[in-house]
Amino acid sequence: MAETNEEVAVLVQRVVKDITNAFRRNPHMKELILSGTLNPIKDLHLGKLALTKFPKSPETWIHRRWVLQQLIQETSLPSFVTKGNLGTIPAERTQRLIQEEMEVCGEAAGRYPSNYNAWSHRIWVLQHLAKLDVKILLDELSSTKHWASMHVSDHSGFHYRQFLLKSLISQTVIDSSVMEQNCLRSEPALVLPKDEEAAASTEEPRINLPHLLEEEVEFSTDLIDSYPGHETLWCHRRHIFYLQHHLNGSQLSQAMEVDGLNDSSKQGYSQETKRLKRTPAPDSLGLEMEHRFIDQVLSTCRNVEQARFANAYRKWLVTLSQ
Amino acid sequence: MKLYSLSVLYKGDAKVVLLKAAHDVSSFSFFQRSSVQEFMTFTSQLIVERSSKGTRASVKEQDYLCHVYVRNDSLAGVVIADNEYPSRVAFTLLEKVLDEFSKQVDRIDWPVGSPATINYTALEGHLSRYQNPREADPMTKVQAELDETKIILHNTMESLLERGEKLDDLVSKSEVLGTQSKAFYKTDGCC
Repeated sequence: MAETNEEVAVLVQRVVKDITNAFRRNPHMKELILSGTLNPIKDLHLGKLALTKFPKSPETWIHRRWVLQQLIQETSLPSFVTKGNLGTIPAERTQRLIQEEMEVCGEAAGRYPSNYNAWSHRIWVLQHLAKLDVKILLDELSSTKHWASMHVSDHSGFHYRQFLLKSLISQTVIDSSVMEQNCLRSEPALVLPKDEEAAASTEEPRINLPHLLEEEVEFSTDLIDSYPGHETLWCHRRHIFYLQHHLNGSQLSQAMEVDGLNDSSKQGYSQETKRLKRTPAPDSLGLEMEHRFIDQVLSTCRNVEQARFANAYRKWLVTLSQ
Repeated sequence: MKLYSLSVLYKGDAKVVLLKAAHDVSSFSFFQRSSVQEFMTFTSQLIVERSSKGTRASVKEQDYLCHVYVRNDSLAGVVIADNEYPSRVAFTLLEKVLDEFSKQVDRIDWPVGSPATINYTALEGHLSRYQNPREADPMTKVQAELDETKIILHNTMESLLERGEKLDDLVSKSEVLGTQSKAFYKTDGCC
């Protein structure tokens, strides 16, 4: 790789001239990295510079993922370490890589509206480098909140929050089913918070999923009221509402299913389980609150688009209960 | 959501005079910045020129929204924002700025003023603070006294022009735009 400043300057110039091919067509690029001649960290740095000028460049993001994959595979050091008796967390080196990627994605997202390539890279990093570590997911949820509130029509940014919440749900379900098999109980746990209390002696970070979703709904309400007429915000609300009910429905069925395996007398639940899985039943209180919210918006808003989105949301809610 | 410029102008009978302006062009690439700034001045002046006294309007141009308020006493303000920035807050800002300006700068100075001669320094601070609408204006959600139905909406800059007038002609005739900016306008076709 380039050693002198001049070589770096020429390289950046080449990149600027032909971003499409800078990381793609060079036949030796991959060989150079694989043979150890080219330093992958420096390559990542070059990519970071290129992204300041071409924040969307698909080739740059694709190449970046390839380099990251080499990095986590190549070394003899583990990328994950065991903590306690429950799970693994990313090693320090991996954490640093993850943090850097979060930063690069954040900058690229700010440079181009709804930068799908940047946000999907961010998701990829969480899936493949961070392995959906719960603490990292929670950190990302809180650290991207302000950005989302300042980019209210950035669909990709809000989709990221939906991904984080969905992942937290799936990770918690996995964890809680593991815990349930380990805990001694006489009755099935129906509500997640109770599980958390039962397993409080373990080291797992406690997360209260219903509370997180509630907070996201409040966040959505706040934004919709402050910034009328943005479809992205209403789409986001639909996703959160759906997650709340999917959570209620499938948590229930998951808990029951685990018990069903251990206790044959509970096999009678299996029919119930199947019904729940097929039709998540939105709780009537939640629906009522949403309808009241829509009423409030319609009665006070003066923005034509806002009224249109509120009405569309109402229609969507009706289809849910059918 | 972003604010790009905030300007105070005077709508004279013969022409529009720029009194003071503040810009935030940090999101543009380095080489574009001076041209962008000139275009924002050009646009602000044009909009005030084509708006009647005692009106408020929002003019859409690509991803930008230009909000203008021309007072009955000919003092005018223009805010250039992106399409996420809430227009209600933009108009609150304009009202506040023009009110403050008219108290600090004598009326007699308005028709003949220029950014160099006018003594009003609060504009940069206002622009910076209002970048975050909720910090600057916590009452955003409260219904403003302003009747939003009276704000004129223009979907393009073109709709401000007279029949037969072309934006290209106005650009090439403009005294506000430098040669580089005019060339930039031709190649990129953007404001």
